[in-house]
Amino acid sequence: MSRPPALQLIRPSAEAPSTGSAERSLLVRSAQAGDVRAFAALVDMYYARCLRFALHMLSNRSDAEEAVQDTFIRVYRALPSYVEQESFEPWLFRILANRCRSAGSRERRRAEFVEFGEVPDRASEHRHDDAIAWREEIALALATLPTEQREAFLLRHVEDLSYDDMSAATGAGVSALKMRVKRACDALRSWLTEERNGRRD
Amino acid sequence: MDDETDETITRIAAALRQLPPVDAAHKAQVLVAVAAERERAREARVRAARRWRLAGSIGVAAAAALVLVVWRRDAGAGRTAARTTGVVAQTTPASVGAPSPAPETTTQLAARDAAGVAPLPVQLVLHAPAAHRVSVVGDFNGWDTHANTLSRDAASGLWSATVALRPGRHVYAFIVDDSIWMRDPRMPQSRDADFGRPGSVLLVGHP
Repeated sequence: MSRPPALQLIRPSAEAPSTGSAERSLLVRSAQAGDVRAFAALVDMYYARCLRFALHMLSNRSDAEEAVQDTFIRVYRALPSYVEQESFEPWLFRILANRCRSAGSRERRRAEFVEFGEVPDRASEHRHDDAIAWREEIALALATLPTEQREAFLLRHVEDLSYDDMSAATGAGVSALKMRVKRACDALRSWLTEERNGRRD
Repeated sequence: MDDETDETITRIAAALRQLPPVDAAHKAQVLVAVAAERERAREARVRAARRWRLAGSIGVAAAAALVLVVWRRDAGAGRTAARTTGVVAQTTPASVGAPSPAPETTTQLAARDAAGVAPLPVQLVLHAPAAHRVSVVGDFNGWDTHANTLSRDAASGLWSATVALRPGRHVYAFIVDDSIWMRDPRMPQSRDADFGRPGSVLLVGHP
Protein backbone atom coordinates (compact mmCIF):
# COMPACT_ATOMS: atom_id res chain seq x y z
CA MET A 1 0.00 0.00 0.00
CA SER A 2 1.40 3.33 -1.00
CA ARG A 3 2.11 5.99 1.55
CA PRO A 4 -0.57 8.64 2.03
CA PRO A 5 0.18 12.05 0.59
CA ALA A 6 1.76 14.75 2.63
CA LEU A 7 -0.61 17.08 4.38
CA GLN A 8 0.48 20.08 2.36
CA LEU A 9 -1.09 18.52 -0.72
CA ILE A 10 -4.46 19.43 0.70
CA ARG A 11 -5.20 22.94 -0.35
CA PRO A 12 -6.11 25.27 2.46
CA SER A 13 -8.34 27.17 0.03
CA ALA A 14 -10.70 24.22 0.12
CA GLU A 15 -11.66 25.18 3.63
CA ALA A 16 -14.90 26.96 4.31
CA PRO A 17 -14.57 30.71 4.40
CA SER A 18 -14.54 31.92 7.96
CA THR A 19 -17.46 34.09 8.90
CA GLY A 20 -17.82 36.14 12.01
CA SER A 21 -20.56 35.19 14.38
CA ALA A 22 -21.83 38.79 14.34
CA GLU A 23 -22.27 38.70 10.58
CA ARG A 24 -23.95 35.32 10.82
CA SER A 25 -26.33 36.52 13.53
CA LEU A 26 -27.23 39.53 11.44
CA LEU A 27 -27.96 37.33 8.44
CA VAL A 28 -30.09 34.97 10.48
CA ARG A 29 -32.06 37.83 12.00
CA SER A 30 -32.57 39.41 8.59
CA ALA A 31 -33.66 36.08 7.10
CA GLN A 32 -36.10 35.65 9.98
CA ALA A 33 -37.51 39.07 9.16
CA GLY A 34 -38.17 37.90 5.60
CA ASP A 35 -35.04 39.14 3.81
CA VAL A 36 -34.54 36.62 1.02
CA ARG A 37 -31.10 37.97 0.18
CA ALA A 38 -29.98 37.25 3.73
CA PHE A 39 -31.27 33.72 3.44
CA ALA A 40 -29.47 33.36 0.09
CA ALA A 41 -26.28 34.51 1.81
CA LEU A 42 -26.77 31.82 4.47
CA VAL A 43 -27.24 29.24 1.73
CA ASP A 44 -24.05 30.46 0.10
CA MET A 45 -22.24 30.34 3.40
CA TYR A 46 -23.24 26.83 4.41
CA TYR A 47 -24.16 24.91 1.26
CA ALA A 48 -20.70 23.46 0.66
CA ARG A 49 -20.25 22.44 4.31
CA CYS A 50 -23.67 20.84 4.40
CA LEU A 51 -22.97 19.03 1.15
CA ARG A 52 -19.64 17.79 2.54
CA PHE A 53 -21.36 16.41 5.62
CA ALA A 54 -24.16 14.82 3.60
CA LEU A 55 -21.72 13.25 1.14
CA HIS A 56 -19.76 11.68 3.97
CA MET A 57 -22.93 10.49 5.64
CA LEU A 58 -24.70 9.15 2.54
CA SER A 59 -21.81 8.31 0.19
CA ASN A 60 -23.95 9.24 -2.77
CA ARG A 61 -23.98 12.52 -4.61
CA SER A 62 -27.62 12.77 -5.66
CA ASP A 63 -28.86 11.67 -2.23
CA ALA A 64 -26.58 14.21 -0.60
CA GLU A 65 -27.68 17.03 -2.89
CA GLU A 66 -31.31 16.29 -2.19
CA ALA A 67 -30.71 16.06 1.55
CA VAL A 68 -29.00 19.44 1.54
CA GLN A 69 -31.69 21.10 -0.57
CA ASP A 70 -34.40 19.69 1.67
CA THR A 71 -32.47 20.85 4.70
CA PHE A 72 -32.33 24.44 3.55
CA ILE A 73 -36.02 24.44 2.71
CA ARG A 74 -36.76 23.04 6.17
CA VAL A 75 -34.48 25.65 7.70
CA TYR A 76 -36.40 28.37 5.91
CA ARG A 77 -39.72 27.00 7.15
CA ALA A 78 -38.38 26.67 10.68
CA LEU A 79 -36.71 30.09 10.84
CA PRO A 80 -39.66 31.68 12.68
CA SER A 81 -39.20 29.15 15.48
CA TYR A 82 -35.44 29.64 15.71
CA VAL A 83 -34.36 31.49 18.82
CA GLU A 84 -31.05 33.23 18.88
CA GLN A 85 -30.03 31.81 22.23
CA GLU A 86 -29.36 28.65 20.25
CA SER A 87 -26.31 28.64 18.00
CA PHE A 88 -27.21 28.58 14.34
CA GLU A 89 -24.71 25.97 13.23
CA PRO A 90 -25.81 23.21 15.62
CA TRP A 91 -29.41 24.03 14.74
CA LEU A 92 -28.64 23.75 11.03
CA PHE A 93 -26.67 20.54 11.48
CA ARG A 94 -29.45 19.05 13.60
CA ILE A 95 -31.86 19.46 10.69
CA LEU A 96 -29.28 18.17 8.23
CA ALA A 97 -28.28 15.19 10.37
CA ASN A 98 -31.93 14.23 10.82
CA ARG A 99 -32.44 14.42 7.08
CA CYS A 100 -29.33 12.32 6.43
CA ARG A 101 -30.39 9.74 9.01
CA SER A 102 -33.77 9.34 7.40
CA ALA A 103 -32.17 8.99 3.98
CA GLY A 104 -29.26 6.84 4.94
CA SER A 105 -30.25 3.25 5.27
CA ARG A 106 -27.27 1.14 4.33
CA GLU A 107 -29.26 -1.17 2.12
CA ARG A 108 -30.23 1.66 -0.15
CA ARG A 109 -26.79 3.12 -0.35
CA ARG A 110 -25.15 2.41 -3.63
CA ALA A 111 -21.54 1.38 -3.91
CA GLU A 112 -20.40 4.76 -5.01
CA PHE A 113 -17.52 6.59 -3.47
CA VAL A 114 -17.27 10.24 -2.99
CA GLU A 115 -14.78 11.91 -5.23
CA PHE A 116 -14.07 15.52 -4.68
CA GLY A 117 -11.27 17.86 -3.82
CA GLU A 118 -8.44 18.90 -5.98
CA VAL A 119 -4.84 17.96 -6.14
CA PRO A 120 -2.47 20.77 -7.05
CA ASP A 121 -1.32 20.73 -10.65
CA ARG A 122 2.29 20.57 -9.59
CA ALA A 123 1.82 17.27 -7.85
CA SER A 124 3.53 14.42 -9.55
CA GLU A 125 1.46 11.64 -11.07
CA HIS A 126 2.63 9.36 -8.29
CA ARG A 127 1.50 11.76 -5.59
CA HIS A 128 -1.80 12.32 -7.44
CA ASP A 129 -2.50 8.60 -7.32
CA ASP A 130 -1.56 8.58 -3.66
CA ALA A 131 -4.00 11.36 -2.88
CA ILE A 132 -6.88 9.60 -4.60
CA ALA A 133 -6.01 6.28 -3.01
CA TRP A 134 -5.84 7.92 0.40
CA ARG A 135 -9.24 9.56 0.00
CA GLU A 136 -10.75 6.29 -1.19
CA GLU A 137 -9.27 4.49 1.79
CA ILE A 138 -10.79 7.04 4.11
CA ALA A 139 -14.14 6.87 2.36
CA LEU A 140 -14.12 3.11 2.73
CA ALA A 141 -13.09 3.29 6.35
CA LEU A 142 -15.71 5.91 7.12
CA ALA A 143 -18.41 3.82 5.46
CA THR A 144 -17.63 0.93 7.80
CA LEU A 145 -18.54 3.01 10.86
CA PRO A 146 -22.00 2.80 12.41
CA THR A 147 -24.07 5.84 11.49
CA GLU A 148 -23.93 7.38 14.96
CA GLN A 149 -20.15 7.09 15.16
CA ARG A 150 -19.67 8.45 11.66
CA GLU A 151 -21.95 11.37 12.44
CA ALA A 152 -20.17 12.14 15.70
CA PHE A 153 -16.72 11.89 14.11
CA LEU A 154 -17.68 14.22 11.27
CA LEU A 155 -19.29 16.79 13.53
CA ARG A 156 -16.28 16.81 15.85
CA HIS A 157 -13.28 16.45 13.58
CA VAL A 158 -14.54 17.79 10.26
CA GLU A 159 -17.15 20.38 11.21
CA ASP A 160 -15.25 21.37 14.36
CA LEU A 161 -18.32 21.56 16.56
CA SER A 162 -17.83 21.60 20.31
CA TYR A 163 -19.30 18.72 22.26
CA ASP A 164 -22.02 21.02 23.60
CA ASP A 165 -22.94 22.02 20.06
CA MET A 166 -22.81 18.38 18.97
CA SER A 167 -25.18 17.56 21.78
CA ALA A 168 -27.55 20.26 20.56
CA ALA A 169 -27.25 18.95 17.02
CA THR A 170 -27.76 15.29 17.77
CA GLY A 171 -29.76 15.22 20.98
CA ALA A 172 -27.22 12.84 22.51
CA GLY A 173 -25.38 13.52 25.77
CA VAL A 174 -21.83 14.81 25.79
CA SER A 175 -20.36 11.69 27.36
CA ALA A 176 -22.11 9.47 24.83
CA LEU A 177 -20.80 11.63 22.01
CA LYS A 178 -17.25 11.48 23.37
CA MET A 179 -17.54 7.72 23.44
CA ARG A 180 -18.81 7.64 19.87
CA VAL A 181 -15.97 9.82 18.67
CA LYS A 182 -13.41 7.71 20.51
CA ARG A 183 -14.80 4.51 19.06
CA ALA A 184 -14.88 6.04 15.61
CA CYS A 185 -11.24 7.12 15.92
CA ASP A 186 -10.21 3.67 17.16
CA ALA A 187 -12.07 1.98 14.32
CA LEU A 188 -10.61 4.29 11.68
CA ARG A 189 -7.06 3.82 13.00
CA SER A 190 -7.51 0.09 13.09
CA TRP A 191 -9.06 -0.12 9.64
CA LEU A 192 -6.44 2.04 8.01
CA THR A 193 -3.59 0.28 9.77
CA GLU A 194 -4.85 -3.07 8.57
CA GLU A 195 -5.34 -1.67 5.10
CA ARG A 196 -1.83 -0.32 5.00
CA ASN A 197 -0.41 -3.57 6.24
CA GLY A 198 -2.28 -5.40 3.49
CA ARG A 199 -4.15 -7.65 5.84
CA ARG A 200 -7.41 -7.09 4.00
CA ASP A 201 -8.25 -8.55 0.65
CA MET B 1 -12.74 11.58 28.01
CA ASP B 2 -10.87 14.03 25.80
CA ASP B 3 -10.26 13.72 22.12
CA GLU B 4 -7.28 11.61 21.35
CA THR B 5 -5.99 13.04 18.13
CA ASP B 6 -2.88 11.62 16.59
CA GLU B 7 -1.28 11.92 13.19
CA THR B 8 -3.65 9.42 11.59
CA ILE B 9 -6.80 11.16 12.81
CA THR B 10 -5.37 14.54 11.86
CA ARG B 11 -4.66 13.31 8.34
CA ILE B 12 -8.10 11.75 8.02
CA ALA B 13 -9.80 14.90 9.21
CA ALA B 14 -7.72 17.06 6.88
CA ALA B 15 -8.72 14.95 3.88
CA LEU B 16 -12.38 14.90 4.88
CA ARG B 17 -12.45 18.67 5.37
CA GLN B 18 -12.00 19.32 1.69
CA LEU B 19 -15.13 20.98 0.45
CA PRO B 20 -16.89 19.43 -2.54
CA PRO B 21 -17.54 21.51 -5.64
CA VAL B 22 -20.98 23.05 -5.54
CA ASP B 23 -23.19 23.39 -8.57
CA ALA B 24 -24.66 26.90 -8.52
CA ALA B 25 -27.84 25.51 -10.10
CA HIS B 26 -28.46 23.39 -7.02
CA LYS B 27 -28.22 26.41 -4.74
CA ALA B 28 -30.53 28.27 -7.09
CA GLN B 29 -33.06 25.45 -6.83
CA VAL B 30 -33.19 26.00 -3.07
CA LEU B 31 -33.91 29.67 -3.56
CA VAL B 32 -36.59 28.95 -6.16
CA ALA B 33 -38.29 26.59 -3.71
CA VAL B 34 -38.00 29.17 -0.94
CA ALA B 35 -39.51 31.83 -3.20
CA ALA B 36 -42.42 29.48 -3.85
CA GLU B 37 -42.79 28.97 -0.09
CA ARG B 38 -42.91 32.71 0.44
CA GLU B 39 -45.54 33.10 -2.22
CA ARG B 40 -47.64 30.33 -0.73
CA ALA B 41 -47.39 31.95 2.70
CA ARG B 42 -48.35 35.33 1.28
CA GLU B 43 -51.38 33.85 -0.49
CA ALA B 44 -52.37 32.07 2.70
CA ARG B 45 -52.24 35.36 4.59
CA VAL B 46 -54.43 37.01 1.96
CA ARG B 47 -56.94 34.17 2.12
CA ALA B 48 -56.96 34.28 5.91
CA ALA B 49 -57.59 38.03 5.84
CA ARG B 50 -60.52 37.49 3.47
CA ARG B 51 -61.92 34.79 5.72
CA TRP B 52 -61.72 37.10 8.75
CA ARG B 53 -63.42 39.83 6.79
CA LEU B 54 -66.21 37.48 5.75
CA ALA B 55 -66.55 36.16 9.28
CA GLY B 56 -66.74 39.73 10.56
CA SER B 57 -69.49 40.53 8.08
CA ILE B 58 -71.45 37.47 9.06
CA GLY B 59 -70.99 38.32 12.73
CA VAL B 60 -72.24 41.86 12.30
CA ALA B 61 -75.15 40.66 10.21
CA ALA B 62 -76.04 38.11 12.87
CA ALA B 63 -75.86 40.77 15.58
CA ALA B 64 -78.06 43.04 13.51
CA ALA B 65 -80.55 40.23 13.01
CA LEU B 66 -80.62 39.66 16.76
CA VAL B 67 -81.28 43.35 17.34
CA LEU B 68 -83.99 43.12 14.74
CA VAL B 69 -85.68 40.18 16.43
CA VAL B 70 -85.66 41.93 19.80
CA TRP B 71 -86.95 45.13 18.24
CA ARG B 72 -89.71 43.32 16.36
CA ARG B 73 -90.77 41.60 19.53
CA ASP B 74 -90.98 44.95 21.26
CA ALA B 75 -92.55 46.95 18.45
CA GLY B 76 -94.76 44.39 16.69
CA ALA B 77 -93.89 42.42 13.57
CA GLY B 78 -96.41 43.74 11.06
CA ARG B 79 -95.61 47.46 11.66
CA THR B 80 -91.81 47.27 11.43
CA ALA B 81 -91.06 44.69 8.76
CA ALA B 82 -90.02 47.21 6.13
CA ARG B 83 -87.72 49.12 8.50
CA THR B 84 -85.91 46.02 9.79
CA THR B 85 -85.01 44.87 6.32
CA GLY B 86 -83.38 48.24 5.93
CA VAL B 87 -81.36 47.83 9.14
CA VAL B 88 -79.77 44.60 8.03
CA ALA B 89 -79.10 45.87 4.55
CA GLN B 90 -77.31 48.94 5.87
CA THR B 91 -75.33 47.25 8.62
CA THR B 92 -73.64 44.57 6.57
CA PRO B 93 -71.85 46.77 4.06
CA ALA B 94 -71.01 49.34 6.71
CA SER B 95 -69.02 46.73 8.63
CA VAL B 96 -66.62 46.06 5.77
CA GLY B 97 -66.35 49.58 4.45
CA ALA B 98 -68.36 51.01 1.62
CA PRO B 99 -65.86 50.61 -1.27
CA SER B 100 -65.25 46.89 -0.65
CA PRO B 101 -66.67 44.38 -3.11
CA ALA B 102 -69.26 41.92 -1.93
CA PRO B 103 -67.64 39.25 0.29
CA GLU B 104 -67.00 35.89 -1.30
CA THR B 105 -69.23 33.06 -0.33
CA THR B 106 -67.78 30.17 1.65
CA THR B 107 -68.07 28.03 -1.47
CA GLN B 108 -66.01 30.52 -3.42
CA LEU B 109 -63.45 30.67 -0.62
CA ALA B 110 -63.24 26.90 -0.49
CA ALA B 111 -62.72 26.83 -4.24
CA ARG B 112 -59.93 29.38 -3.90
CA ASP B 113 -58.36 27.36 -1.09
CA ALA B 114 -58.41 24.27 -3.23
CA ALA B 115 -56.91 26.14 -6.12
CA GLY B 116 -54.14 27.77 -4.06
CA VAL B 117 -51.45 29.33 -6.19
CA ALA B 118 -52.23 29.32 -9.88
CA PRO B 119 -50.66 26.33 -11.64
CA LEU B 120 -48.10 26.86 -14.35
CA PRO B 121 -47.68 24.85 -17.55
CA VAL B 122 -44.59 22.65 -17.39
CA GLN B 123 -43.47 20.43 -20.25
CA LEU B 124 -42.09 17.02 -19.35
CA VAL B 125 -40.01 15.26 -21.97
CA LEU B 126 -38.60 11.75 -22.25
CA HIS B 127 -36.49 10.32 -25.04
CA ALA B 128 -37.81 6.82 -25.63
CA PRO B 129 -37.90 6.07 -29.37
CA ALA B 130 -38.74 2.40 -28.88
CA ALA B 131 -41.63 2.99 -26.48
CA HIS B 132 -45.24 2.44 -27.50
CA ARG B 133 -46.84 4.37 -24.68
CA VAL B 134 -45.51 6.74 -22.02
CA SER B 135 -47.37 8.36 -19.17
CA VAL B 136 -46.25 10.45 -16.24
CA VAL B 137 -47.22 9.86 -12.64
CA GLY B 138 -46.53 12.16 -9.74
CA ASP B 139 -47.79 13.87 -6.66
CA PHE B 140 -49.62 16.34 -8.93
CA ASN B 141 -51.89 13.71 -10.46
CA GLY B 142 -52.26 11.30 -7.55
CA TRP B 143 -49.83 8.85 -9.18
CA ASP B 144 -52.54 7.97 -11.65
CA THR B 145 -51.01 6.16 -14.62
CA HIS B 146 -53.85 7.27 -16.88
CA ALA B 147 -54.02 10.93 -15.92
CA ASN B 148 -51.24 12.31 -18.15
CA THR B 149 -50.18 10.47 -21.27
CA LEU B 150 -47.25 11.77 -23.29
CA SER B 151 -47.40 12.39 -27.03
CA ARG B 152 -44.75 11.02 -29.31
CA ASP B 153 -42.78 12.90 -31.91
CA ALA B 154 -41.96 10.19 -34.44
CA ALA B 155 -38.99 11.99 -35.94
CA SER B 156 -37.09 12.58 -32.74
CA GLY B 157 -38.40 9.77 -30.55
CA LEU B 158 -39.26 12.32 -27.90
CA TRP B 159 -42.35 11.94 -25.77
CA SER B 160 -43.77 15.05 -24.19
CA ALA B 161 -46.69 16.27 -22.16
CA THR B 162 -47.53 19.59 -20.62
CA VAL B 163 -48.88 19.44 -17.10
CA ALA B 164 -50.15 22.23 -14.88
CA LEU B 165 -48.06 22.42 -11.71
CA ARG B 166 -48.30 24.78 -8.79
CA PRO B 167 -45.08 26.44 -7.63
CA GLY B 168 -43.19 24.19 -5.26
CA ARG B 169 -41.50 20.82 -5.19
CA HIS B 170 -42.93 17.91 -7.14
CA VAL B 171 -41.89 14.27 -7.38
CA TYR B 172 -42.71 12.31 -10.50
CA ALA B 173 -41.73 9.40 -12.74
CA PHE B 174 -42.52 8.03 -16.17
CA ILE B 175 -44.33 4.78 -16.94
CA VAL B 176 -43.13 3.29 -20.22
CA ASP B 177 -45.32 0.74 -22.02
CA ASP B 178 -47.44 0.39 -18.89
CA SER B 179 -44.75 -1.73 -17.32
CA ILE B 180 -41.46 0.12 -16.86
CA TRP B 181 -41.20 2.69 -14.09
CA MET B 182 -38.39 5.14 -14.69
CA ARG B 183 -37.40 8.49 -13.30
CA ASP B 184 -36.63 11.46 -15.49
CA PRO B 185 -32.92 11.04 -16.24
CA ARG B 186 -32.50 14.80 -16.71
CA MET B 187 -33.61 15.72 -13.21
CA PRO B 188 -32.29 15.03 -9.69
CA GLN B 189 -33.39 11.77 -8.17
CA SER B 190 -35.79 11.89 -5.25
CA ARG B 191 -35.21 9.83 -2.16
CA ASP B 192 -38.80 10.03 -1.06
CA ALA B 193 -40.49 8.76 -4.20
CA ASP B 194 -43.79 7.18 -3.37
CA PHE B 195 -44.17 3.42 -3.61
CA GLY B 196 -40.44 3.02 -2.90
CA ARG B 197 -39.60 3.52 -6.55
CA PRO B 198 -37.21 6.04 -7.99
CA GLY B 199 -38.65 9.39 -8.87
CA SER B 200 -37.35 12.74 -10.01
CA VAL B 201 -37.64 16.08 -8.32
CA LEU B 202 -38.98 19.10 -10.11
CA LEU B 203 -39.01 22.53 -8.51
CA VAL B 204 -41.46 24.97 -10.00
CA GLY B 205 -40.82 28.61 -9.27
CA HIS B 206 -43.39 31.32 -9.11
CA PRO B 207 -43.60 33.51 -12.22
